[in-house]
Amino acid sequence: MNLTLPALGPALPEIVILVGALALLFLGAWRGEAARPVVDFGAILLLVLAGAIVVLLPGGTLSTFGGSFLLDPFARFLKILALAGAAAALLMSFDFLRAEKLERYEFGILVLTATAGMLVMISSNDLITLYLGVELMSLSLYVMAAIQRDSVRSTEAGLKYFVLGALSSGMLLYGASLVYGFTGTVGFPGIAAAAKAGSLGLVFGLVFLFAGLAFKVSAVPFHMWTPDVYEGAPTPVTAFFAAAPKVAGIAIFVRVAIDAFPNIVPQWQQIVIFLAIASMVLGAFAAIGQRNIKRLMAYSSIGHVGYTLVGLAAGTPAGVAGVLVYMAIYVAMTLGTFACILAMRRNGEAIEEIDELAGLARTQPMVAFLLGALLFSLAGIPPLAGFFAKFYVFLAAIEARLYALAVIGVVASVVGAYYYLRIVKLMYMDEPKAAFEPMARPLGFVLGITGLFVLLFFVYPAPLVAAAQAAAQSLF
Amino acid sequence: MYQAIVFLPLLGCLIAGLFGRFVGARGAEIVTSALLLVSAALSWFAFVDVGFLGHEARVKLFTWIASGGLKVDWALRIDGLTAVMLVVVTTVSALVHVYSIGYMREDPHRPRFFSYLSLFTFAMLMLVSSDNLVQLFFGWEGVGLMSYLLIGFWYQKPEANAAAIKAFVVNRVGDFGFALGIFAVFALVGSVGFETIFAEAKSLTGKTIHILGGDFDALTVICLLLFLGAMGKSAQFLLHTWLPDAMEGPTPVSALIHAATMVTAGVFMVARLSPLFELAPTALAFVTFIGATTAFFAATVGLVQNDIKRIVAYSTCSQLGYMFVAMGVGAYSVGMFHLFTHAFFKALLFLGAGSVITALHHEQDIRRMGGLRPVLPITYAMMVIGTLSLTGFPLTAGFFSKDAIIEAAYAGHNAFAAYAFWLTLIAAGLTAFYSWRLVFVAFHGRSRADHHVLEHAHESPPVMTVPLGVLALGAIVAGFAAKGIFAGEGMEQFFRESIFSKDGHRIIEEMHHGPFWVTWAPTLMMVVGFAVAYWFYIHDPAIPRELARRNDILYRFLLNKWYFDEIYDFLLVRPVKWLGYTLWKRGDGWLIDGFGPDGVAARVLDVTKNVIRLQTGYLYHYAFVMLVGVAALVSWFLVRGGG
Amino acid sequence: MTALIQDYLPIVVFLAVAAAIGLALMAAPFFVAYKAPDAEKLSAYECGFNAFDDARMKFDVRFYLVAILFIIFDLEVAFLFPWAITLGELGTFGFWSMMVFLAVLTIGFIYEWRKGALEWD
Repeated sequence: MNLTLPALGPALPEIVILVGALALLFLGAWRGEAARPVVDFGAILLLVLAGAIVVLLPGGTLSTFGGSFLLDPFARFLKILALAGAAAALLMSFDFLRAEKLERYEFGILVLTATAGMLVMISSNDLITLYLGVELMSLSLYVMAAIQRDSVRSTEAGLKYFVLGALSSGMLLYGASLVYGFTGTVGFPGIAAAAKAGSLGLVFGLVFLFAGLAFKVSAVPFHMWTPDVYEGAPTPVTAFFAAAPKVAGIAIFVRVAIDAFPNIVPQWQQIVIFLAIASMVLGAFAAIGQRNIKRLMAYSSIGHVGYTLVGLAAGTPAGVAGVLVYMAIYVAMTLGTFACILAMRRNGEAIEEIDELAGLARTQPMVAFLLGALLFSLAGIPPLAGFFAKFYVFLAAIEARLYALAVIGVVASVVGAYYYLRIVKLMYMDEPKAAFEPMARPLGFVLGITGLFVLLFFVYPAPLVAAAQAAAQSLF
Repeated sequence: MYQAIVFLPLLGCLIAGLFGRFVGARGAEIVTSALLLVSAALSWFAFVDVGFLGHEARVKLFTWIASGGLKVDWALRIDGLTAVMLVVVTTVSALVHVYSIGYMREDPHRPRFFSYLSLFTFAMLMLVSSDNLVQLFFGWEGVGLMSYLLIGFWYQKPEANAAAIKAFVVNRVGDFGFALGIFAVFALVGSVGFETIFAEAKSLTGKTIHILGGDFDALTVICLLLFLGAMGKSAQFLLHTWLPDAMEGPTPVSALIHAATMVTAGVFMVARLSPLFELAPTALAFVTFIGATTAFFAATVGLVQNDIKRIVAYSTCSQLGYMFVAMGVGAYSVGMFHLFTHAFFKALLFLGAGSVITALHHEQDIRRMGGLRPVLPITYAMMVIGTLSLTGFPLTAGFFSKDAIIEAAYAGHNAFAAYAFWLTLIAAGLTAFYSWRLVFVAFHGRSRADHHVLEHAHESPPVMTVPLGVLALGAIVAGFAAKGIFAGEGMEQFFRESIFSKDGHRIIEEMHHGPFWVTWAPTLMMVVGFAVAYWFYIHDPAIPRELARRNDILYRFLLNKWYFDEIYDFLLVRPVKWLGYTLWKRGDGWLIDGFGPDGVAARVLDVTKNVIRLQTGYLYHYAFVMLVGVAALVSWFLVRGGG
Repeated sequence: MTALIQDYLPIVVFLAVAAAIGLALMAAPFFVAYKAPDAEKLSAYECGFNAFDDARMKFDVRFYLVAILFIIFDLEVAFLFPWAITLGELGTFGFWSMMVFLAVLTIGFIYEWRKGALEWD
């Protein structure tokens, strides 16, 4: 056996984050809660550092660990997105956790490990790396969901997530083993070479593999955990859940579909179309009946995953570029909206009822305006960013002749617009309730940035779209 | 100069309409009236310049539409025909503007009123100076719109609103035909410009057009469709019902729009399109028939009306019938002649009636007048002059123009010429009767008015009587002065190419050589009508009542205007209303809202309720759903055999 | 497709036969057996005395914690054996890989120790 040290350069972001996380954990273990400010600051710093490394690494496609780890433009785009989402979510969490007396130095470390898992997922080029990343991320997320240990809702959320997550991991593994069994390899290029149409066993493996991945991105019918976990988990955790892990999940979904199964496109296309339609429709309809804004955002995220999968269903470079643009805009919109949700506090208590937003336009006009813009964007109303996100994926679907899918998507977004606009109506038309506490500065910062992004995206969309197109091209 | 004539009223409209607040009511009155007077003066100048010096002009303003083969310009076409209309429109409009300063002096919305009047004038000028069918249609609809707005000027009155809507809706019927006619012209000729159409007209003879499974002569169809528009605008038989109701508007409006100008647009249009109509004898016969029928019908209804404005309105309707008779028999210039003189004496009558109405505090029923001669001496004199002219008293304006029409009808060659001759002759007698009846009942005898009202009755101020005087002058001399160019030797010299006749205006020649009795028959009829009216209302006022009682059915038939409103209400209005109501309640409310917006919204909520019920909160349900999802996908591929 | 299903035909036959025999044996006593119930025959019996309480008793959550911690180090040992045997062939890289692995585990161990997870009270 000839074992030599593989090139570690391409995996440097992950290594930095993990080593840093271990160091911070060690520090925390040694100093106790006194170390928390250092850990919080260190975690943000590590995420920023990892992002810088991703940018600064030599361009093109880098591969290491025997080809099982890949850093291509696609991975770079999504890694930066995931890191940004994670950093923003972490930044927004501090004030809320302090107010709720949930401060623990483990929180930052869990964000780091989860993010490391996501980065591994995004870069994975074989089934084992994939599973490693998925589990590293998932295990961290389970704990985060249950971090409010003395709250029944939080522990219930964590437990539900864990049990169902274990089930989905089982499906993922079963699918992976079937795929390995029918192709004789775990590497994506090898699978792509071996996978040919007509093998029922391989398609079974594909189904199970996709079922496991669909759980991670909460696509219908593997979404059932989402509303309960989003509602039960502390709000900063929910904000984190809604942003970064979705990016990683969609990333690996796209990579598996495009890289590993390019020769059986019609097969996986059917699955993705099914998932997309079910997610869009259920996300639109179920959200209407919600009174809790976190549950509403859960269904909203389910719907948005549906729209994203429309782009994947097209299976073309344009479709994948649409997916990437969609994810970028979705992360911005979600973080901005959660910044507002985190700011819903009155008399030292967090508020989650949608009706409590009534008359926000009169008590906090600037927040109401930006939240209104974000909601209009989520509903996909031009000329806001959300419209372009939908536009690119639907355009790709039309070009791929998936007319029915595009039509259903448009109809679903019309239905979905209802519940976003209802909140806008509440804020602007209804009698105001007592004012919320003033917004914490980090929340205001994130809200301002994301609000301006969705408002002004149409002015100069070229850089994002060009980057997404370049990233998508690297997969084909 | 021509631009100034057309656009000065628009300028006045904009100033009065947009800046009425700043210039004030007085300012609006002065600005619009002054601009109109300038426009009128220029028009007379143009009349001489074009008609007698032969300086015809075509002023292209700019291109309006250029789409494929369709090219439409904004252009002013100034020829003899237009010159006549310019003079009529701007003169009457200017006088009406001045008169309105007095008539509307107590109205709080004067800037709006004057703005409307000026805008109407602009639209009418656009109509008469148009160079193509589309611009003609623009003016046509513009005057229709202003007519609607001015009839409903007192929008607080429900009757005024109803009348405005009626005028608009009835005109839609005609305009629909008119629009179809324009489409047909464009389809066959490929252009809407008059030059091209008239040049191509010859080649259209004999062509057929395929409609509803039958082939019809193209020119006949086109002319009939276009004439349908004229029927609506000029309130001809079957589409006349809106005109009497339009009297709900302010009286100056009635004088300007519903007597002198807008209602004559149909007549003008037929004259303008004479190159087409001349080649469609069937259509011309139809025009003659409708004109004669209207002349007679409206006169009979006018016999028994009691509202001073309605009598004059029916008279207008009747006189418009005369003009169409002239058009129908090919004597276009004679029709224009009557249009010209009619504008003076009918505007005079309307404004006189308006003077009476203001004097009596908006009393319009002649049965409650009487004995007004000493109270309103000037108005009385003016009304008598107008009546003399209308009835055709020798040497007044109406005498020349109306008699010319009757003679032309006698000399006409088409199938309905004889019919038209006899009906117009009878109508001349009827006209004399109802006109003098109005004068006798309103001004003579003893007063039947409330003495309270009578005490406050007074002669109108000079700002109203001076325009009356000008019009009276026109009503007396216009016929004698203009006889030569409309119905005499100067006719071809004046109109030149603007009026076309395929036999070189033979009818004008023949008209003058009718038998002696034909020449004097109208005058005789006038005398008979006057005598009967005198006998009925001065000599023995009991007779009319006795006559009405004995011929109750006929009286009611006439009083109710041949029951046209009732017939239309039964045949058209009610079914359409029922249809509309049904479509609204059942079609829109129940079907579209129920299955459309409301239904969809309700179904969405139903779906939502069911979807939410799926979210039970039980872990095993969630796991079960996941397994069902996987099982469904696996089964799908199993059945499809691996995809 | 049909070939695939035909391959599974023996299993279907087997399942059918098994179900038939099982059902027959369960149903047979109802018709064949002699029935004479009394109180003693119907009472619960367990090693000579009645059950104290429900068999589904609750365990302290600390047992789980210990069990989970045990499993981690159990697996670590299971991982160490093959590594130790082949260490000669793995070379320096193999050796340091395991050291990194152990270091990570050690940090985790320190964490749980400091957190007091190993103390029973």
